[in-house]
Amino acid sequence: MRGLRKVLTPFAPDQSGAVSVLYSMGALTVVIDAGGCTGNICGFDEPRWHTARSAVFSAGLRDIDAILGRDDLLIRKLEWAVRAAQSRPETKDAFRFIALVGTPVPAVIGTDYEALARIAEKKTGLRCVPIAANGMKLYDSGAELAWTALFRKFAGAAEKSGTVGVIGYTPLDFDARTRAPFKAAFGECAVYGLDTGLDALQAAGGVRENVVIAPSGIAAAKFLKQKFGTPYRMLDPFAEKLLRPEMEQGQKKILIVHQAVTAATLEGLIQARNPAAQITKASWFMTPPECGSFVTLREEDDFTALVQRGGYDLIVADAVMRDLAPEFDGLWIDARHFAVSGRTE
Amino acid sequence: MSTFYTAAELAKLGPDNIPESFSTARHLVYSSPATLAFNSPGAEGFGVKRAGLAIPGSVMLIVSPGCCGRNTSEISSIPQYRRRFFYYEIQEPELVTGQHLKRIPEAVEEVCRSLPEKPSVVMICATCVDALLGTDFDRVCRAAEARAGVKVRPCYMYALTREGKKPPMVQVRQSLYSLLEPGTRKAADVNLLGFFAPLDDDSELYAYLRGCGVRQIRELSRCADYDAFQQMACANFNLVLNPEARAAADDLYKQHKMPYIELSQLYRIDKIHSQYQALAGAIGGTIDDAEDYAAAKQAVEDFRARHGALRFAVGECLNANPFELSLALTEYGFTVREICATAQSGYYRWINRLAALSPETKIYCNQDPSMLFYEEGDPVDVTLGKDAAFYHPGTPNLAFNSDRQPFGYQAVRRLFRELEEVLA
Repeated sequence: MRGLRKVLTPFAPDQSGAVSVLYSMGALTVVIDAGGCTGNICGFDEPRWHTARSAVFSAGLRDIDAILGRDDLLIRKLEWAVRAAQSRPETKDAFRFIALVGTPVPAVIGTDYEALARIAEKKTGLRCVPIAANGMKLYDSGAELAWTALFRKFAGAAEKSGTVGVIGYTPLDFDARTRAPFKAAFGECAVYGLDTGLDALQAAGGVRENVVIAPSGIAAAKFLKQKFGTPYRMLDPFAEKLLRPEMEQGQKKILIVHQAVTAATLEGLIQARNPAAQITKASWFMTPPECGSFVTLREEDDFTALVQRGGYDLIVADAVMRDLAPEFDGLWIDARHFAVSGRTE
Repeated sequence: MSTFYTAAELAKLGPDNIPESFSTARHLVYSSPATLAFNSPGAEGFGVKRAGLAIPGSVMLIVSPGCCGRNTSEISSIPQYRRRFFYYEIQEPELVTGQHLKRIPEAVEEVCRSLPEKPSVVMICATCVDALLGTDFDRVCRAAEARAGVKVRPCYMYALTREGKKPPMVQVRQSLYSLLEPGTRKAADVNLLGFFAPLDDDSELYAYLRGCGVRQIRELSRCADYDAFQQMACANFNLVLNPEARAAADDLYKQHKMPYIELSQLYRIDKIHSQYQALAGAIGGTIDDAEDYAAAKQAVEDFRARHGALRFAVGECLNANPFELSLALTEYGFTVREICATAQSGYYRWINRLAALSPETKIYCNQDPSMLFYEEGDPVDVTLGKDAAFYHPGTPNLAFNSDRQPFGYQAVRRLFRELEEVLA
């Protein structure tokens, strides 16, 4: 039945993707919700939350606020938080900008995020980025909105350097929490959203190339190419870890289910070693044409049917999907994907 | 520097002038691990999702945008919840047309078909979007019952209404106990309402009730199956141990003529004694608590003798009212440096007394935006509650937030026994 899930739990939503992008940017991030969405985002989807403080707030909406559309109350709350921080020397520069992240409740009442952001800028003197997430789309959609909004708002021209810009990092796709493994792959690099903060973003016009590591970064990379002429390519530097000797021999039928850049990178690696391999890529998430052809998955039954008719020897996918393919008797390689299963181990 | 008020300042302002810092509807709500229980009640302890599955053999269909069910994968990993959560993900067009409501009966039917045994109840968990739409879930559940041939009940995970007259944790209890069908009342049967896990086995409350002639003490969480749950309809009266169960007890009184008595989870030994004597008076029995009273008092004195006048920070994520517990600790001769909890008018009976005994105790609101900038000031020796631990990461902590609930003198003994273990 369309929309019904009996095995898989819901995937990371757009609002989690957006907050994940913003987490290390120095923003005062306001999730426009009653509290539950913020709890899900921080308490579940943001592993850094337990170790690194970030200014993520819930708007604390109540039913009457939503019914009456009391945006003015939200603005007052924002002003109060900003003024309270600015009134003390040790915290006066705590917030570099404001980010407003949507959820189902403001989506239902038709909140005008752009207008809210303009008023917030006027009232607080801080720049404001609105992100119209609605909790019904998936994490990559929210992350894409956030990347695009941030680069459009803040990216500036700078003298070209040898640095590589890495776009698309969020803990929803990647386990890495330091720059070291990216540096090993790309040399000197700025991994946006990991530890670079707003300053690196403001100097984005100066990088020699951008590497897009998740589909959510493609729109931003295109924008940077258009604005600064910066070329981009797509590559997941960690996809190699999913290679197995079994993939390199014979006419193996292989199914890869992951985010599109990871799947496409792995496909390239396998084909380079075994041109005879027959590879099918599938994804629950966005599948940009640059990553090649994909089978789009929407419902649990889509995956079950794909496995049943595919006759695969090998499946590379998060193990949480295994219950959907009980008759599969080939080799299953667990490609853990936090956005899908919420598993960290 | 975070905003705080001393106990003396709060007492002076009075219950009608509680500062905005303690009103979560008046400011942005800071999100930190210390506020997880507030922002995501299902993530810790019993929120609506876990509570809604308290009925043996039940399953839950969460009808919501995908985001609302996301953290359920954490709960689903607990063995007793495996294959008990199902999801109907609402899409944008459905939300506009209300079409999702028409599909719920079909979804319930398919969920039931997919299970090896028919569930005792299907709980429909509704979320904020339907609160806004004003969806009549009673009607939707009736339609689902008719189609699937199984009991279907709503539970409301409406964070938007958490400060309303009937917040979600009140409504979910009403929903669960509404399943009780009229039964034959038995004079010696009593229900304990309020928690979703049992009281500790060694709580003296069980023995006291038996001493007063009670033969059957029932708790929802101890019911082995649906039939055992239905036996709760036979109780002569209910004991309400958590105010969030009061509305359910009111319903049971209206529907089954089952009266109720309220008791509180307390840590002040004298007050525990008074409460038990009042209970004995109400049910026409006697409770001789001298031995338990003395044992609890001894536990406090022994601990105090071993550790001296320790300095505490007390949070609100624990099995106690943080203000009552802080007052108890102060009366026992300890110092409570700070309390991280939301002051409410109903707590002033403790705040006023605390202000007299410990006027400099700092009271913070975990959700206040300025808590982002909290810095440890006065040192403390031990923290109580997971939230207090967040602010004092290097200090010994007793979370004291187990599912199983301590109660009465046993709670006092357990508290100091576990503190002893933490400080050993």
